[in-house]
Amino acid sequence: MAECNTAVAQIDLTKVKPYGDTLNDGMTEVAFTLPVPYGDEANEAAKILAKKMGLDEPNVVYAKEMTKEYTFFVVYGKCQHTVDYTTIKVAKVDVDVMDRLECAEYIKENIKRPVVIVGASTGTDAHTVGIDAIMNMKGFHGHFGLERYEGIEAYNLGSQVPNEDLIAKAKEVHADAILVSQTVTQKDIHIENLTNMVELLEAEGMRDKVILVCGGPRISHELAQELGYDAGFGQHKYAEDVASFVLTEIVNRNMI
Amino acid sequence: MYLLEELSQKYKRISIVGMAKNAGKTTALNYLIEEAMDEGIALGVTSTGRDGEGTDVVTGTDKPRVFLDTDTIVSVPTQLYELADAGLEIVKMTEYGSSLGQIMLCRVVSSGYVQVAGPVINAQHIKMCEEMIRLGAQLVLIDGAIDRKSIAAPGTSDAIILSTGAVLSRKMSRVVEETAHTVNLYRLPCLEDGRERELLTGESENILLIRDGELVALDLNTGLGAGRFLDAKIDDKVSHIYVPGAFTQSIVSDINPKKLKNVTFVLKDPTKIFIGATMWNQFRKKGLTVKVLENINVAAITVNPTSPGGYSFDHESLLNAMQEAIPDIPVLDVRM
Repeated sequence: MAECNTAVAQIDLTKVKPYGDTLNDGMTEVAFTLPVPYGDEANEAAKILAKKMGLDEPNVVYAKEMTKEYTFFVVYGKCQHTVDYTTIKVAKVDVDVMDRLECAEYIKENIKRPVVIVGASTGTDAHTVGIDAIMNMKGFHGHFGLERYEGIEAYNLGSQVPNEDLIAKAKEVHADAILVSQTVTQKDIHIENLTNMVELLEAEGMRDKVILVCGGPRISHELAQELGYDAGFGQHKYAEDVASFVLTEIVNRNMI
Repeated sequence: MYLLEELSQKYKRISIVGMAKNAGKTTALNYLIEEAMDEGIALGVTSTGRDGEGTDVVTGTDKPRVFLDTDTIVSVPTQLYELADAGLEIVKMTEYGSSLGQIMLCRVVSSGYVQVAGPVINAQHIKMCEEMIRLGAQLVLIDGAIDRKSIAAPGTSDAIILSTGAVLSRKMSRVVEETAHTVNLYRLPCLEDGRERELLTGESENILLIRDGELVALDLNTGLGAGRFLDAKIDDKVSHIYVPGAFTQSIVSDINPKKLKNVTFVLKDPTKIFIGATMWNQFRKKGLTVKVLENINVAAITVNPTSPGGYSFDHESLLNAMQEAIPDIPVLDVRM
Protein backbone atom coordinates (compact mmCIF):
# COMPACT_ATOMS: atom_id res chain seq x y z
CA MET A 1 0.00 0.00 0.00
CA ALA A 2 1.30 3.39 -0.93
CA GLU A 3 2.24 5.52 1.98
CA CYS A 4 0.58 8.88 2.30
CA ASN A 5 3.29 11.48 2.47
CA THR A 6 1.17 14.61 2.34
CA ALA A 7 1.58 16.88 5.34
CA VAL A 8 -1.46 16.38 7.51
CA ALA A 9 -2.43 19.12 9.88
CA GLN A 10 -2.75 17.83 13.41
CA ILE A 11 -5.91 18.39 15.40
CA ASP A 12 -5.00 20.62 18.31
CA LEU A 13 -7.82 20.55 20.82
CA THR A 14 -6.53 23.65 22.55
CA LYS A 15 -7.04 25.66 19.34
CA VAL A 16 -10.13 24.33 17.62
CA LYS A 17 -11.29 26.06 14.42
CA PRO A 18 -14.10 25.35 11.94
CA TYR A 19 -13.41 22.70 9.31
CA GLY A 20 -14.43 23.57 5.76
CA ASP A 21 -12.49 22.03 2.92
CA THR A 22 -9.40 21.26 4.96
CA LEU A 23 -8.61 21.07 8.64
CA ASN A 24 -8.31 24.44 10.38
CA ASP A 25 -9.22 26.51 7.33
CA GLY A 26 -11.86 28.18 9.50
CA MET A 27 -14.52 28.26 6.77
CA THR A 28 -17.77 29.56 8.19
CA GLU A 29 -21.14 30.40 6.74
CA VAL A 30 -23.38 33.06 8.23
CA ALA A 31 -26.81 34.31 7.18
CA PHE A 32 -28.47 37.57 8.18
CA THR A 33 -30.70 40.39 6.99
CA LEU A 34 -29.78 44.08 6.96
CA PRO A 35 -32.27 46.94 6.75
CA VAL A 36 -30.66 48.41 3.63
CA PRO A 37 -31.72 48.41 -0.08
CA TYR A 38 -30.35 45.62 -2.29
CA GLY A 39 -27.24 46.64 -4.25
CA ASP A 40 -23.45 46.93 -4.23
CA GLU A 41 -23.43 49.10 -1.13
CA ALA A 42 -25.48 46.47 0.66
CA ASN A 43 -22.98 43.74 -0.26
CA GLU A 44 -20.14 45.90 0.99
CA ALA A 45 -22.01 46.48 4.27
CA ALA A 46 -22.45 42.73 4.70
CA LYS A 47 -18.72 42.16 4.09
CA ILE A 48 -17.70 44.83 6.60
CA LEU A 49 -20.02 43.35 9.19
CA ALA A 50 -18.65 39.84 8.56
CA LYS A 51 -15.12 41.17 9.06
CA LYS A 52 -16.18 42.65 12.37
CA MET A 53 -17.56 39.23 13.30
CA GLY A 54 -14.02 37.93 12.89
CA LEU A 55 -14.38 36.40 9.40
CA ASP A 56 -11.37 36.90 7.16
CA GLU A 57 -11.81 37.24 3.39
CA PRO A 58 -15.58 37.55 3.57
CA ASN A 59 -17.41 36.57 0.42
CA VAL A 60 -21.08 37.36 -0.20
CA VAL A 61 -22.26 34.24 -1.99
CA TYR A 62 -25.93 35.12 -2.00
CA ALA A 63 -27.91 38.34 -1.62
CA LYS A 64 -31.61 38.83 -2.20
CA GLU A 65 -34.04 41.66 -1.66
CA MET A 66 -36.46 40.50 1.07
CA THR A 67 -38.80 43.42 0.59
CA LYS A 68 -38.12 47.03 -0.27
CA GLU A 69 -35.21 48.38 1.78
CA TYR A 70 -34.27 44.98 3.26
CA THR A 71 -31.63 42.57 1.97
CA PHE A 72 -30.83 39.00 3.00
CA PHE A 73 -27.26 37.73 2.76
CA VAL A 74 -25.32 34.51 2.95
CA VAL A 75 -21.65 35.20 3.60
CA TYR A 76 -18.66 32.84 3.67
CA GLY A 77 -15.45 33.70 5.45
CA LYS A 78 -12.53 32.29 7.39
CA CYS A 79 -12.98 32.40 11.13
CA GLN A 80 -9.95 33.89 12.88
CA HIS A 81 -10.85 32.73 16.36
CA THR A 82 -10.10 29.47 18.08
CA VAL A 83 -11.56 27.70 21.07
CA ASP A 84 -9.68 25.81 23.77
CA TYR A 85 -11.80 22.68 23.90
CA THR A 86 -9.78 21.09 26.72
CA THR A 87 -10.78 23.69 29.32
CA ILE A 88 -14.53 23.56 28.69
CA LYS A 89 -16.68 22.42 31.60
CA VAL A 90 -20.42 22.02 31.22
CA ALA A 91 -22.70 21.36 34.17
CA LYS A 92 -24.73 18.27 33.41
CA VAL A 93 -27.49 16.38 35.16
CA ASP A 94 -25.45 13.81 37.01
CA VAL A 95 -27.63 10.72 36.98
CA ASP A 96 -27.60 7.29 35.38
CA VAL A 97 -30.25 7.36 32.68
CA MET A 98 -32.66 4.44 32.83
CA ASP A 99 -34.98 3.49 29.96
CA ARG A 100 -38.75 3.30 30.32
CA LEU A 101 -38.86 -0.28 31.57
CA GLU A 102 -35.96 0.23 33.96
CA CYS A 103 -37.78 3.26 35.37
CA ALA A 104 -40.87 1.14 36.01
CA GLU A 105 -38.70 -1.45 37.72
CA TYR A 106 -36.96 1.26 39.79
CA ILE A 107 -40.32 2.59 41.00
CA LYS A 108 -41.48 -0.89 41.97
CA GLU A 109 -38.33 -1.66 43.89
CA ASN A 110 -37.45 1.65 45.49
CA ILE A 111 -40.50 3.89 45.66
CA LYS A 112 -43.32 1.34 45.86
CA ARG A 113 -46.11 3.79 45.05
CA PRO A 114 -47.24 5.73 41.97
CA VAL A 115 -45.11 8.80 41.22
CA VAL A 116 -47.15 11.89 40.31
CA ILE A 117 -45.71 14.36 37.81
CA VAL A 118 -47.45 17.57 36.71
CA GLY A 119 -46.21 19.61 33.79
CA ALA A 120 -47.12 22.62 31.68
CA SER A 121 -45.84 25.27 29.37
CA THR A 122 -46.35 28.33 31.54
CA GLY A 123 -46.94 32.04 31.32
CA THR A 124 -47.39 33.56 27.88
CA ASP A 125 -45.72 30.63 26.14
CA ALA A 126 -48.22 29.01 23.78
CA HIS A 127 -45.91 26.25 22.60
CA THR A 128 -46.60 22.73 23.81
CA VAL A 129 -43.95 21.01 21.73
CA GLY A 130 -41.49 20.79 24.64
CA ILE A 131 -43.80 19.54 27.35
CA ASP A 132 -45.57 17.21 24.88
CA ALA A 133 -42.26 15.66 23.84
CA ILE A 134 -41.59 14.76 27.46
CA MET A 135 -45.09 13.90 28.68
CA ASN A 136 -47.35 12.76 25.84
CA MET A 137 -47.82 9.06 25.32
CA LYS A 138 -46.40 9.07 21.83
CA GLY A 139 -43.37 11.05 22.93
CA PHE A 140 -40.81 12.40 20.49
CA HIS A 141 -38.21 10.97 18.15
CA GLY A 142 -38.99 7.41 19.13
CA HIS A 143 -38.76 8.14 22.85
CA PHE A 144 -42.11 7.47 24.53
CA GLY A 145 -43.44 10.13 26.93
CA LEU A 146 -44.10 9.88 30.66
CA GLU A 147 -47.79 9.04 30.12
CA ARG A 148 -46.68 5.63 28.91
CA TYR A 149 -44.45 4.92 31.92
CA GLU A 150 -45.72 2.29 34.31
CA GLY A 151 -45.88 3.67 37.82
CA ILE A 152 -45.97 7.32 36.77
CA GLU A 153 -49.16 9.36 36.85
CA ALA A 154 -48.55 12.20 34.41
CA TYR A 155 -50.69 15.32 34.11
CA ASN A 156 -49.96 17.55 31.13
CA LEU A 157 -51.83 20.83 31.55
CA GLY A 158 -50.89 22.20 28.12
CA SER A 159 -49.80 25.71 27.25
CA GLN A 160 -50.23 29.24 28.61
CA VAL A 161 -50.87 27.91 32.09
CA PRO A 162 -50.49 30.56 34.80
CA ASN A 163 -47.96 29.56 37.46
CA GLU A 164 -50.71 29.79 40.06
CA ASP A 165 -52.88 27.22 38.27
CA LEU A 166 -49.97 24.84 37.88
CA ILE A 167 -49.25 25.05 41.61
CA ALA A 168 -52.94 24.61 42.53
CA LYS A 169 -53.04 21.46 40.38
CA ALA A 170 -49.80 20.14 41.89
CA LYS A 171 -51.30 20.62 45.35
CA GLU A 172 -54.54 18.94 44.36
CA VAL A 173 -52.91 15.77 43.02
CA HIS A 174 -50.03 15.77 45.55
CA ALA A 175 -47.39 15.97 42.85
CA ASP A 176 -43.89 14.65 43.49
CA ALA A 177 -42.45 16.67 40.64
CA ILE A 178 -43.39 19.74 38.61
CA LEU A 179 -42.09 20.18 35.07
CA VAL A 180 -42.07 23.71 33.64
CA SER A 181 -41.49 24.17 29.94
CA GLN A 182 -40.48 27.39 28.20
CA THR A 183 -40.08 27.06 24.45
CA VAL A 184 -40.32 30.41 22.72
CA THR A 185 -39.76 33.50 24.80
CA GLN A 186 -38.90 37.10 24.07
CA LYS A 187 -36.68 39.48 25.99
CA ASP A 188 -35.87 36.91 28.66
CA ILE A 189 -39.48 36.81 29.84
CA HIS A 190 -38.92 33.11 30.57
CA ILE A 191 -36.46 34.05 33.30
CA GLU A 192 -39.01 36.22 35.07
CA ASN A 193 -41.68 33.60 34.65
CA LEU A 194 -39.47 30.79 35.96
CA THR A 195 -38.33 32.71 39.03
CA ASN A 196 -41.92 33.75 39.78
CA MET A 197 -42.79 30.03 39.87
CA VAL A 198 -40.02 29.32 42.41
CA GLU A 199 -41.05 32.26 44.57
CA LEU A 200 -44.71 31.20 44.58
CA LEU A 201 -43.72 27.67 45.59
CA GLU A 202 -41.56 29.04 48.41
CA ALA A 203 -44.44 31.23 49.58
CA GLU A 204 -46.78 28.26 49.49
CA GLY A 205 -44.30 26.30 51.60
CA MET A 206 -44.06 23.65 48.88
CA ARG A 207 -40.61 24.16 47.45
CA ASP A 208 -38.89 21.54 49.62
CA LYS A 209 -41.71 19.06 49.04
CA VAL A 210 -41.50 18.85 45.26
CA ILE A 211 -38.83 18.24 42.67
CA LEU A 212 -38.82 21.21 40.37
CA VAL A 213 -37.54 20.82 36.84
CA CYS A 214 -37.42 23.28 33.96
CA GLY A 215 -36.83 22.62 30.30
CA GLY A 216 -36.60 24.28 26.92
CA PRO A 217 -34.13 25.18 24.20
CA ARG A 218 -32.75 28.13 26.15
CA ILE A 219 -32.50 26.28 29.45
CA SER A 220 -29.29 24.73 30.69
CA HIS A 221 -28.51 22.82 33.82
CA GLU A 222 -26.25 25.67 34.88
CA LEU A 223 -29.07 28.18 34.57
CA ALA A 224 -31.27 25.96 36.76
CA GLN A 225 -29.06 26.74 39.77
CA GLU A 226 -29.43 30.49 39.25
CA LEU A 227 -33.19 30.18 38.78
CA GLY A 228 -33.70 27.96 41.82
CA TYR A 229 -34.65 24.72 40.05
CA ASP A 230 -33.40 21.24 40.87
CA ALA A 231 -32.49 20.53 37.26
CA GLY A 232 -32.69 22.05 33.80
CA PHE A 233 -33.00 20.11 30.55
CA GLY A 234 -32.06 21.65 27.21
CA GLN A 235 -32.31 20.28 23.68
CA HIS A 236 -31.92 16.59 22.88
CA LYS A 237 -33.24 15.43 26.22
CA TYR A 238 -36.11 12.99 26.37
CA ALA A 239 -38.65 11.57 28.81
CA GLU A 240 -36.20 8.97 30.14
CA ASP A 241 -33.69 11.69 31.09
CA VAL A 242 -36.33 13.59 33.04
CA ALA A 243 -37.86 10.46 34.58
CA SER A 244 -34.49 9.09 35.66
CA PHE A 245 -33.61 12.37 37.36
CA VAL A 246 -36.97 12.70 39.12
CA LEU A 247 -37.03 9.10 40.35
CA THR A 248 -33.43 9.16 41.59
CA GLU A 249 -34.05 12.48 43.32
CA ILE A 250 -37.19 11.15 45.04
CA VAL A 251 -35.06 8.41 46.56
CA ASN A 252 -32.11 10.72 47.36
CA ARG A 253 -34.32 13.25 49.05
CA ASN A 254 -36.17 10.53 50.90
CA MET A 255 -39.57 11.51 49.54
CA ILE A 256 -40.73 7.89 49.36
CA MET B 1 -19.73 54.45 55.85
CA TYR B 2 -19.20 51.49 58.12
CA LEU B 3 -22.24 49.42 57.47
CA LEU B 4 -21.02 46.05 58.54
CA GLU B 5 -19.82 46.80 62.03
CA GLU B 6 -23.28 47.87 63.09
CA LEU B 7 -24.98 45.02 61.24
CA SER B 8 -22.77 42.32 62.72
CA GLN B 9 -23.66 43.42 66.24
CA LYS B 10 -27.38 43.22 65.59
CA TYR B 11 -27.75 40.31 63.20
CA LYS B 12 -26.44 36.79 62.54
CA ARG B 13 -27.74 36.27 59.01
CA ILE B 14 -28.18 38.90 56.33
CA SER B 15 -29.68 38.27 52.90
CA ILE B 16 -28.84 40.42 49.92
CA VAL B 17 -32.05 40.63 47.93
CA GLY B 18 -32.25 42.02 44.42
CA MET B 19 -35.13 43.95 42.90
CA ALA B 20 -34.00 42.53 39.56
CA LYS B 21 -31.14 40.82 37.88
CA ASN B 22 -28.04 43.05 37.55
CA ALA B 23 -29.21 45.34 40.34
CA GLY B 24 -25.82 45.01 42.03
CA LYS B 25 -26.24 42.20 44.57
CA THR B 26 -22.77 40.77 44.13
CA THR B 27 -21.22 44.25 44.19
CA ALA B 28 -22.99 44.82 47.50
CA LEU B 29 -21.71 41.44 48.71
CA ASN B 30 -18.14 42.36 47.76
CA TYR B 31 -18.47 45.68 49.57
CA LEU B 32 -19.50 43.89 52.75
CA ILE B 33 -16.75 41.29 52.35
CA GLU B 34 -14.19 44.08 52.06
CA GLU B 35 -15.50 45.77 55.20
CA ALA B 36 -15.37 42.45 57.02
CA MET B 37 -11.70 42.06 56.09
CA ASP B 38 -10.96 45.52 57.50
CA GLU B 39 -12.91 44.83 60.67
CA GLY B 40 -11.64 41.29 61.13
CA ILE B 41 -15.10 39.77 61.21
CA ALA B 42 -15.26 36.06 60.27
CA LEU B 43 -17.87 35.69 57.58
CA GLY B 44 -19.96 32.87 56.22
CA VAL B 45 -20.74 33.37 52.54
CA THR B 46 -23.38 31.53 50.55
CA SER B 47 -25.68 32.14 47.60
CA THR B 48 -29.11 30.95 46.48
CA GLY B 49 -27.84 31.14 42.93
CA ARG B 50 -24.26 31.18 41.81
CA ASP B 51 -21.66 33.87 42.38
CA GLY B 52 -18.19 34.63 41.22
CA GLU B 53 -18.29 33.17 37.71
CA GLY B 54 -16.77 35.38 35.04
CA THR B 55 -19.81 35.85 32.82
CA ASP B 56 -23.49 35.74 33.51
CA VAL B 57 -25.43 32.66 32.31
CA VAL B 58 -28.47 34.75 31.39
CA THR B 59 -27.18 37.98 29.89
CA GLY B 60 -23.62 37.05 28.96
CA THR B 61 -22.37 40.23 30.65
CA ASP B 62 -19.35 40.39 32.93
CA LYS B 63 -20.00 39.62 36.55
CA PRO B 64 -18.01 40.74 39.55
CA ARG B 65 -15.85 37.96 40.99
CA VAL B 66 -15.86 37.13 44.68
CA PHE B 67 -12.62 37.35 46.66
CA LEU B 68 -12.64 35.69 50.07
CA ASP B 69 -10.25 36.17 52.96
CA THR B 70 -8.81 33.35 55.07
CA ASP B 71 -11.11 31.76 57.66
CA THR B 72 -14.27 32.59 55.71
CA ILE B 73 -16.74 29.70 55.70
CA VAL B 74 -18.18 29.27 52.22
CA SER B 75 -20.57 26.90 50.45
CA VAL B 76 -19.23 25.44 47.22
CA PRO B 77 -20.80 22.70 45.08
CA THR B 78 -18.52 19.90 43.92
CA GLN B 79 -18.49 21.00 40.26
CA LEU B 80 -17.26 24.49 41.17
CA TYR B 81 -14.62 23.39 43.69
CA GLU B 82 -11.86 23.00 41.09
CA LEU B 83 -12.58 26.44 39.68
CA ALA B 84 -11.70 28.21 42.92
CA ASP B 85 -8.37 29.96 42.97
CA ALA B 86 -8.40 30.28 46.75
CA GLY B 87 -7.17 27.43 48.91
CA LEU B 88 -10.22 25.65 50.27
CA GLU B 89 -10.32 23.13 53.08
CA ILE B 90 -13.40 20.94 52.84
CA VAL B 91 -14.94 20.92 56.28
CA LYS B 92 -18.11 19.08 55.55
CA MET B 93 -20.06 17.44 52.77
CA THR B 94 -23.68 18.50 53.29
CA GLU B 95 -26.70 16.45 52.34
CA TYR B 96 -27.94 19.24 50.07
CA GLY B 97 -27.74 18.71 46.37
CA SER B 98 -27.76 21.30 43.63
CA SER B 99 -27.66 21.21 39.88
CA LEU B 100 -23.92 21.95 40.16
CA GLY B 101 -23.29 19.03 42.46
CA GLN B 102 -23.47 18.26 46.16
CA ILE B 103 -22.88 21.35 48.34
CA MET B 104 -19.73 21.35 50.48
CA LEU B 105 -18.90 23.66 53.35
CA CYS B 106 -15.33 24.88 53.04
CA ARG B 107 -12.97 27.02 55.07
CA VAL B 108 -10.75 29.40 53.11
CA VAL B 109 -7.12 28.67 54.07
CA SER B 110 -5.44 30.91 51.52
CA SER B 111 -7.37 33.88 50.24
CA GLY B 112 -8.46 34.14 46.63
CA TYR B 113 -11.37 34.05 44.19
CA VAL B 114 -14.11 31.51 44.79
CA GLN B 115 -17.23 30.55 42.88
CA VAL B 116 -19.99 30.34 45.45
CA ALA B 117 -23.30 28.48 45.22
CA GLY B 118 -25.67 27.10 47.81
CA PRO B 119 -28.89 25.13 48.04
CA VAL B 120 -31.77 26.49 45.98
CA ILE B 121 -34.39 25.57 48.58
CA ASN B 122 -34.89 28.04 51.44
CA ALA B 123 -35.61 25.38 54.04
CA GLN B 124 -32.19 23.87 53.33
CA HIS B 125 -30.55 27.29 53.44
CA ILE B 126 -31.82 27.89 56.94
CA LYS B 127 -30.23 24.66 58.19
CA MET B 128 -26.99 25.27 56.35
CA CYS B 129 -26.61 28.80 57.78
CA GLU B 130 -26.86 27.34 61.28
CA GLU B 131 -24.01 25.00 60.46
CA MET B 132 -21.91 27.88 59.13
CA ILE B 133 -22.40 29.72 62.41
CA ARG B 134 -21.42 26.58 64.34
CA LEU B 135 -18.28 26.38 62.24
CA GLY B 136 -17.27 29.84 63.41
CA ALA B 137 -18.91 32.39 61.12
CA GLN B 138 -19.82 35.50 63.11
CA LEU B 139 -22.08 36.75 60.35
CA VAL B 140 -23.55 34.85 57.39
CA LEU B 141 -24.17 36.69 54.14
CA ILE B 142 -26.66 35.08 51.76
CA ASP B 143 -26.50 36.43 48.24
CA GLY B 144 -29.75 36.20 46.32
CA ALA B 145 -30.27 35.24 42.69
CA ILE B 146 -32.00 37.19 39.92
CA ASP B 147 -35.11 38.72 41.53
CA ARG B 148 -35.85 35.83 43.88
CA LYS B 149 -37.08 37.58 46.98
CA SER B 150 -38.23 34.67 49.13
CA ILE B 151 -34.86 34.65 50.95
CA ALA B 152 -36.00 37.91 52.56
CA ALA B 153 -38.44 35.89 54.70
CA PRO B 154 -37.87 36.42 58.44
CA GLY B 155 -37.20 32.71 58.93
CA THR B 156 -34.30 32.73 56.49
CA SER B 157 -32.45 35.85 57.56
CA ASP B 158 -32.55 38.41 60.36
CA ALA B 159 -32.25 41.41 58.07
CA ILE B 160 -31.86 42.16 54.40
CA ILE B 161 -29.98 44.51 52.16
CA LEU B 162 -32.10 45.45 49.18
CA SER B 163 -30.20 45.99 45.93
CA THR B 164 -31.90 48.05 43.29
CA GLY B 165 -30.83 49.95 40.23
CA ALA B 166 -31.30 51.37 36.78
CA VAL B 167 -31.93 47.91 35.33
CA LEU B 168 -35.51 48.08 36.66
CA SER B 169 -36.63 50.77 34.25
CA ARG B 170 -35.39 53.50 31.95
CA LYS B 171 -37.44 55.95 34.02
CA MET B 172 -35.80 56.89 37.30
CA SER B 173 -39.15 57.68 38.91
CA ARG B 174 -40.28 54.13 38.22
CA VAL B 175 -37.11 52.64 39.74
CA VAL B 176 -37.74 54.66 42.89
CA GLU B 177 -41.45 53.83 42.95
CA GLU B 178 -40.97 50.07 42.54
CA THR B 179 -38.24 50.00 45.18
CA ALA B 180 -40.25 52.07 47.64
CA HIS B 181 -43.21 49.74 47.06
CA THR B 182 -41.13 46.70 47.99
CA VAL B 183 -39.70 48.43 51.06
CA ASN B 184 -43.17 49.50 52.16
CA LEU B 185 -44.48 45.96 51.74
CA TYR B 186 -41.58 44.65 53.83
CA ARG B 187 -42.54 47.10 56.55
CA LEU B 188 -46.26 46.38 56.52
CA PRO B 189 -47.83 46.74 59.96
CA CYS B 190 -47.73 43.64 62.13
CA LEU B 191 -50.98 42.34 63.53
CA GLU B 192 -51.28 43.86 67.01
CA ASP B 193 -50.88 41.65 70.07
CA GLY B 194 -54.27 40.48 71.20
CA ARG B 195 -56.87 37.83 70.74
CA GLU B 196 -56.73 37.82 66.93
CA ARG B 197 -52.98 37.36 66.90
CA GLU B 198 -53.21 34.53 69.39
CA LEU B 199 -55.85 32.81 67.27
CA LEU B 200 -53.88 33.09 64.06
CA THR B 201 -50.34 32.40 65.28
CA GLY B 202 -50.59 28.57 65.14
CA GLU B 203 -48.75 26.79 62.37
CA SER B 204 -51.89 26.32 60.32
CA GLU B 205 -51.54 25.18 56.73
CA ASN B 206 -55.14 26.00 55.98
CA ILE B 207 -56.83 29.30 55.31
CA LEU B 208 -58.38 30.59 58.53
CA LEU B 209 -61.21 33.04 59.15
CA ILE B 210 -62.08 34.94 62.29
CA ARG B 211 -65.85 35.06 62.28
CA ASP B 212 -67.61 36.75 65.19
CA GLY B 213 -64.42 36.46 67.24
CA GLU B 214 -64.22 32.69 66.66
CA LEU B 215 -61.65 30.82 64.58
CA VAL B 216 -62.95 28.96 61.52
CA ALA B 217 -60.54 26.74 59.56
CA LEU B 218 -61.48 26.36 55.90
CA ASP B 219 -60.90 23.09 54.11
CA LEU B 220 -58.54 24.88 51.77
CA ASN B 221 -54.75 24.98 51.92
CA THR B 222 -54.05 27.50 49.20
CA GLY B 223 -55.57 30.74 48.03
CA LEU B 224 -54.31 30.15 44.51
CA GLY B 225 -57.23 29.77 42.16
CA ALA B 226 -59.62 29.91 45.10
CA GLY B 227 -60.66 33.59 45.16
CA ARG B 228 -64.31 32.84 44.32
CA PHE B 229 -64.55 30.11 46.92
CA LEU B 230 -63.11 32.50 49.47
CA ASP B 231 -65.52 35.22 48.40
CA ALA B 232 -68.44 32.89 49.08
CA LYS B 233 -67.18 32.25 52.62
CA ILE B 234 -66.95 35.91 53.57
CA ASP B 235 -70.05 37.37 55.21
CA ASP B 236 -70.38 40.53 57.29
CA LYS B 237 -69.32 38.75 60.48
CA VAL B 238 -65.89 37.84 59.14
CA SER B 239 -63.23 40.26 60.34
CA HIS B 240 -59.88 38.57 59.49
CA ILE B 241 -58.68 36.13 56.84
CA TYR B 242 -55.38 34.34 57.32
CA VAL B 243 -53.72 33.15 54.11
CA PRO B 244 -50.74 30.89 54.86
CA GLY B 245 -49.28 30.88 51.36
CA ALA B 246 -48.92 33.19 48.39
CA PHE B 247 -51.13 36.27 48.23
CA THR B 248 -51.69 37.12 44.57
CA GLN B 249 -53.68 39.46 42.42
CA SER B 250 -56.13 36.73 41.40
CA ILE B 251 -57.15 36.11 45.01
CA VAL B 252 -58.00 39.74 45.63
CA SER B 253 -59.68 40.37 42.25
CA ASP B 254 -62.24 37.63 42.83
CA ILE B 255 -63.45 39.11 46.07
CA ASN B 256 -66.45 41.42 46.02
CA PRO B 257 -65.22 45.01 46.66
CA LYS B 258 -67.90 45.57 49.29
CA LYS B 259 -66.66 42.60 51.30
CA LEU B 260 -63.05 43.57 50.73
CA LYS B 261 -63.49 46.77 52.73
CA ASN B 262 -64.61 45.00 55.87
CA VAL B 263 -61.93 42.38 56.28
CA THR B 264 -58.25 42.39 57.18
CA PHE B 265 -56.00 39.92 55.41
CA VAL B 266 -53.32 38.45 57.61
CA LEU B 267 -50.18 36.93 56.07
CA LYS B 268 -47.24 35.14 57.58
CA ASP B 269 -44.71 37.65 56.24
CA PRO B 270 -44.42 40.12 53.36
CA THR B 271 -42.62 37.74 50.99
CA LYS B 272 -46.00 36.10 50.44
CA ILE B 273 -47.23 39.12 48.49
CA PHE B 274 -47.10 38.84 44.70
CA ILE B 275 -48.80 42.06 43.65
CA GLY B 276 -47.05 44.83 41.72
CA ALA B 277 -46.97 48.48 42.78
CA THR B 278 -49.76 49.67 40.46
CA MET B 279 -52.23 46.89 41.29
CA TRP B 280 -51.41 47.19 44.97
CA ASN B 281 -52.31 50.87 45.00
CA GLN B 282 -55.55 50.18 43.13
CA PHE B 283 -56.51 47.50 45.64
CA ARG B 284 -55.62 49.84 48.50
CA LYS B 285 -58.01 52.41 47.09
CA LYS B 286 -60.72 49.77 46.99
CA GLY B 287 -60.14 49.18 50.69
CA LEU B 288 -57.71 46.27 50.87
CA THR B 289 -56.10 45.99 54.31
CA VAL B 290 -53.18 43.62 54.85
CA LYS B 291 -51.28 42.89 58.03
CA VAL B 292 -48.50 40.41 58.68
CA LEU B 293 -47.44 38.26 61.59
CA GLU B 294 -43.79 39.18 61.07
CA ASN B 295 -42.21 41.82 58.88
CA ILE B 296 -38.75 42.27 57.45
CA ASN B 297 -35.83 44.42 58.63
CA VAL B 298 -34.43 46.33 55.71
CA ALA B 299 -30.97 47.27 56.98
CA ALA B 300 -29.84 49.20 53.93
CA ILE B 301 -30.60 49.86 50.28
CA THR B 302 -27.91 49.82 47.62
CA VAL B 303 -28.39 51.49 44.26
CA ASN B 304 -26.67 50.80 40.95
CA PRO B 305 -27.15 53.73 38.55
CA THR B 306 -25.94 51.75 35.52
CA SER B 307 -27.96 49.20 33.56
CA PRO B 308 -26.40 46.52 31.37
CA GLY B 309 -29.05 47.65 28.84
CA GLY B 310 -26.66 50.49 28.05
CA TYR B 311 -28.12 53.47 29.91
CA SER B 312 -27.43 55.04 33.26
CA PHE B 313 -28.68 57.71 35.63
CA ASP B 314 -26.76 60.41 37.40
CA HIS B 315 -25.35 58.90 40.63
CA GLU B 316 -26.29 61.80 42.87
CA SER B 317 -29.84 62.26 41.60
CA LEU B 318 -30.72 58.56 41.91
CA LEU B 319 -29.22 58.41 45.37
CA ASN B 320 -31.10 61.52 46.47
CA ALA B 321 -34.41 60.52 44.90
CA MET B 322 -34.21 57.12 46.60
CA GLN B 323 -33.27 58.59 49.96
CA GLU B 324 -36.15 61.06 49.70
CA ALA B 325 -38.66 58.27 48.98
CA ILE B 326 -37.28 56.11 51.80
CA PRO B 327 -35.94 58.59 54.36
CA ASP B 328 -35.30 56.31 57.33
CA ILE B 329 -33.15 53.58 55.74
CA PRO B 330 -29.56 54.25 54.65
CA VAL B 331 -29.23 54.31 50.87
CA LEU B 332 -25.77 53.85 49.40
CA ASP B 333 -24.04 53.49 46.11
CA VAL B 334 -21.58 50.70 46.87
CA ARG B 335 -19.36 51.56 43.93
CA MET B 336 -18.60 55.03 45.16
